[in-house]
Amino acid sequence: MLTDNITRVKKDFSKDIADVKDIGDLEEIRIKYLGRNGIISKLFDQLKDVPKDDKPAVGKELNLLRINVTSQFEKLQTSLASEKDEKESKVDLTLPGKKYQIGSKHILTQTLDEMKSIFKGMGFSIHEGPELESDYYNFEALNFPHDHPARDMQDTFFINEDFLLRTHTSPVQIRLMENMKPPVRAIMPGRVYRNEAVSARSYCMFHQVEGLYVDTDVTFAELKGTLVAFAHQYYGKDLKYRFRPSFFPFTEPSAEMDITCFMCKGEGCNICKYTGWLEILGCGMVHPNVFKSVNYDSEKYTGYAFGMGIERIAMLKYGITDIRIFFENDFRFLKQF
Amino acid sequence: MKVSLNWLNDYVDLKDISTGEIVDSLTMSGLEVEDVVDQKEMYKNFIVGFVEKKEKHPNADRLSVCIVATGKESVSVICGARNVERGQKVVFAPVGTIIPKGNVELKKAKIRGVESSGMICAEDELLLSEDHSGIMVLDPKLKEGTPIVDALNLDDVLMEIAITPNRPDALSHLGVARDLSAIFKKDLHLPKINLKESNIDINDTASIEIADEKNCPRYSSLVVLDVKVDDSPDWLKNKISSIGLRPINNIVDITNYVMYETGQPLHAFDLDRLNGKKIIVKSTKRKSEFTTLDSKERELLRDTLMICDAEKDVAIAGVMGGENSEIYYDTKNVLIESAYFDPSSIRKTSKYMQLSTDASYRFERGTDPNNTLFAAERTAALIGEIADGKIAKGSIDVYPKMIEERIVKFRLRRLNKILGFNVSAEDSIQIFEKLGFGVKQLANEELKVTVPTYRPDIEQEVDLIEEIARISGYHNVPTIPRISITLDTKHDETVLTNNVRDFSNALGLSEIINNPLQPELLAKSTGDAVKLSNPLSMDMAYLRTSLLPGALSVVARNLNRGEKNLSLFEIGNVFNLKEDKSDINSFDDFDEEEKIIFILSGKKVERDWFSDTKEYDFYDLKGIVNSFLSKISLDNLLNDSYYSIYNNIYEFYLTKNFKDREVGLGGKIRSDVLKKFDIEQNVYCFEFNFSELKQIPVIQNKYSEPLKYPKVFRDFAFVFDKTVLFDDVRNFIQVKSSKLLKNVNVFDIFESKELGQNKRSMAFELEYFDMDRTLTEEEVEKDFEKLIKLVSKQFNAKLRGN
Ligand SMILES: [Zn+2]
Repeated sequence: MLTDNITRVKKDFSKDIADVKDIGDLEEIRIKYLGRNGIISKLFDQLKDVPKDDKPAVGKELNLLRINVTSQFEKLQTSLASEKDEKESKVDLTLPGKKYQIGSKHILTQTLDEMKSIFKGMGFSIHEGPELESDYYNFEALNFPHDHPARDMQDTFFINEDFLLRTHTSPVQIRLMENMKPPVRAIMPGRVYRNEAVSARSYCMFHQVEGLYVDTDVTFAELKGTLVAFAHQYYGKDLKYRFRPSFFPFTEPSAEMDITCFMCKGEGCNICKYTGWLEILGCGMVHPNVFKSVNYDSEKYTGYAFGMGIERIAMLKYGITDIRIFFENDFRFLKQF
Repeated sequence: MKVSLNWLNDYVDLKDISTGEIVDSLTMSGLEVEDVVDQKEMYKNFIVGFVEKKEKHPNADRLSVCIVATGKESVSVICGARNVERGQKVVFAPVGTIIPKGNVELKKAKIRGVESSGMICAEDELLLSEDHSGIMVLDPKLKEGTPIVDALNLDDVLMEIAITPNRPDALSHLGVARDLSAIFKKDLHLPKINLKESNIDINDTASIEIADEKNCPRYSSLVVLDVKVDDSPDWLKNKISSIGLRPINNIVDITNYVMYETGQPLHAFDLDRLNGKKIIVKSTKRKSEFTTLDSKERELLRDTLMICDAEKDVAIAGVMGGENSEIYYDTKNVLIESAYFDPSSIRKTSKYMQLSTDASYRFERGTDPNNTLFAAERTAALIGEIADGKIAKGSIDVYPKMIEERIVKFRLRRLNKILGFNVSAEDSIQIFEKLGFGVKQLANEELKVTVPTYRPDIEQEVDLIEEIARISGYHNVPTIPRISITLDTKHDETVLTNNVRDFSNALGLSEIINNPLQPELLAKSTGDAVKLSNPLSMDMAYLRTSLLPGALSVVARNLNRGEKNLSLFEIGNVFNLKEDKSDINSFDDFDEEEKIIFILSGKKVERDWFSDTKEYDFYDLKGIVNSFLSKISLDNLLNDSYYSIYNNIYEFYLTKNFKDREVGLGGKIRSDVLKKFDIEQNVYCFEFNFSELKQIPVIQNKYSEPLKYPKVFRDFAFVFDKTVLFDDVRNFIQVKSSKLLKNVNVFDIFESKELGQNKRSMAFELEYFDMDRTLTEEEVEKDFEKLIKLVSKQFNAKLRGN
């Protein structure tokens, strides 16, 4: 009898649960079968009337029924709930995120920052100097005599006979050495000016990084080592380089450093004027006349100096072909980097 | 300078060395080869063509259809030149030839319906000259099909060498050859002079006097009589045109040839046009005028060194000859000038006159004072030979004080100290000797080097060290892989600037970099501007006195390009004359200061799904300024002043002050100012004197313990007259409250019809806490009630919500 009831309840439940359409229907079923006064609870009440010998078997069957009903119920409840969430959710996760604006540093600043960190790692200090300079610091102390053709190498904006806009960051070398005794190891970034017609390749102002190291045993070999290490860090380990003799009044011997053109890998292209090489910096051993102007003993001390243009390096690195774009400050350009 | 490899071979035998190696060696020893033209390569496809037939183009009046025989076939070619004729031998470029001018490949083409298979060339297309007046017409004896390389002897290699200002000796073929002889360890052959003198004594033909020995230390001269001025022979024409000079006549061509051979500039005077057959070298005593041989009248400064005859000026020394004494077609007798002039004197004249010639270029860099006679003799010998002249016997060589060769000590130990590697005494001696230096070995490690006067750049030991380094090659100097670092303190003067850039970025601002050169109007609108004496243009004649005008220009440019929402900053130097200064005589006459500017314009938030559009306003600017100051720990050291009074730039503004000294200023830019920049939207700017901010001693940040006890908040809102300022209310509350009140924030402000005209409501949140204990409701309530009464009374304000 009870066993028959169990079988019937099983059947009824299967039918009822198949008809469930929503959470409301399901709740009715829960009350009907699993509620405190539900069908299953009532079946358990009937267990006391079952003969003692049959009790374990019937009890087991009854328990199974309860487990079965509960589990089917829960399964349906979960699936109905998620269906409901999907239908009724108020959050559209696909909407665009809100905008948070973060500024960018000018690409020239970023280029300089990268260079600064390499040289700082090599023990260089960082110093600055004025842009409106005297003829003495910009030329004379750097062994550019008056009326010397070497002055033509740097077209100059003059304020008057004695003051000018610095044409290179080298005057900071003099200012630094005037103020300290060797050893001096520093880089000196800054803005410089040249009286040159504005075009895609040249602008009337640009930025340089100057380097200087003076001590008792500084050699040209160490200059080469330092600059090669810099180039490897900045441009990559597999780069080829060469040092060519050149002329700067404030260094002797003087050199220019070329690296393999990274546009054509040395094959020759219009960027490297079909030479396969790109000049990246000028350098040399500090001229004894420069030491003389800052009262350093050139028999005791030797030193090297180097200088490189930041725009040129940024142009090469980022494939920028017109220098003027740096100073137009087009917001779209600024935001690119 | 253009250098011909064939010409170099006259002095040093380079035939067994490849062009590539020569070019590389020159570059790697300091004579940078910027461009190489290998004629054999460049002209390899061009051949002699024979014009068999010429007809008018059926569809174009100016064109002809020519049938050109190439030796193998006859092809039809369209030609636009007027001088093309049947029967001519011409330079023919078959299809597939790379035309040097423009570096383009010639393709088969149909020109106005007629096929053209090749091209008949003019000189400019071959880059032989600029001439495009007609096609090149060749010697009729040439056979069609002959390569042009053979027909025209185009077998040279031409190099464009960048000569640095320290190497005047290399401004000549002999000078370049001398370097090559040292690099390749070969002998240098000077040209042999075959001087066939006549029996007429030079002293009977002319006389020379130097009145200014300082500026003209030497004047050497030879005279050639009865010359025939004519075109130069082909070899000479070819030689000088190969390096880009235009042949003029045999006399002038020879002087040019010897200059490019020896580096010594020469001038030929028509002796019969020199009054008194006399040369006097002297400086002008006053300003005057002179007509140079290019028929231009030029103004001369006082103290310009001139070449004069007995009565008049005949040449500007070292720069250019005069029209009144130049060689012309019936010149008979020639006086050759080969002088040494003081470099700085020539440079001054050339600079002042803005006239740079091949001669002045060499003189101002320094020619060889001890080579003038050699060059004069070389010139005279060639004129005698080529122009069929009689060379007067002897020379006039005025050289009052011999310029001696410099003697420089050279220590191998010193070379090692500077270069970081060793070179043997033998190798050093060889290099010096090949460069023409005299060498005497003093001790094992020391040389006494006599420097010839053609190397004015070699002044001291380090210059000799460079000679050794560059000739043996910089690649031989080791590249050492480690350096030593001293352990003293390292400084970075840019740390604060870097941080400020980071803070500005975090505040949403992007960095701009402007040109500090500005037009007068902009520069003077914000300060006492410094003027350039030689500006590039009037647009860039002054230095900026503030970052503001540049910033507004950037805003305008971006608006123009459709970028309307801008948040920017710039850090840069500005330049102001000090008060009562009009010029700069010392660093005390002007201020160069670093400034930083913040710029906001347009929309802070654009129309979007979560919010309405929000424009930047003054409070955005103020907020950014204050956040910035708090990041650099200056927020508590500066105080604010507010201004709504007239200012020529700002409609209203705020200043930041340190001890009564203004260190920053900014606000809303006046619309009439913006109009001048064509800006039609609001712009807010704030400019700090960054140099001054850096001077303010900052109190080191210390750790403070976070609050352990709960805060208590109370809100109230009052209706005030609109004239009551927030700051006054807040200050009043802070003064009158108990010490437990730590903060007063305004959280709601509005006006409405209900409140009444000229009224506004301000709601405040009061924040109470104590670092050492929990507050009781009673004590807060007591203070709060007290403040309500006091505020109502003080500002005649009505408490809202009650
Ligand atoms: Zn390349």
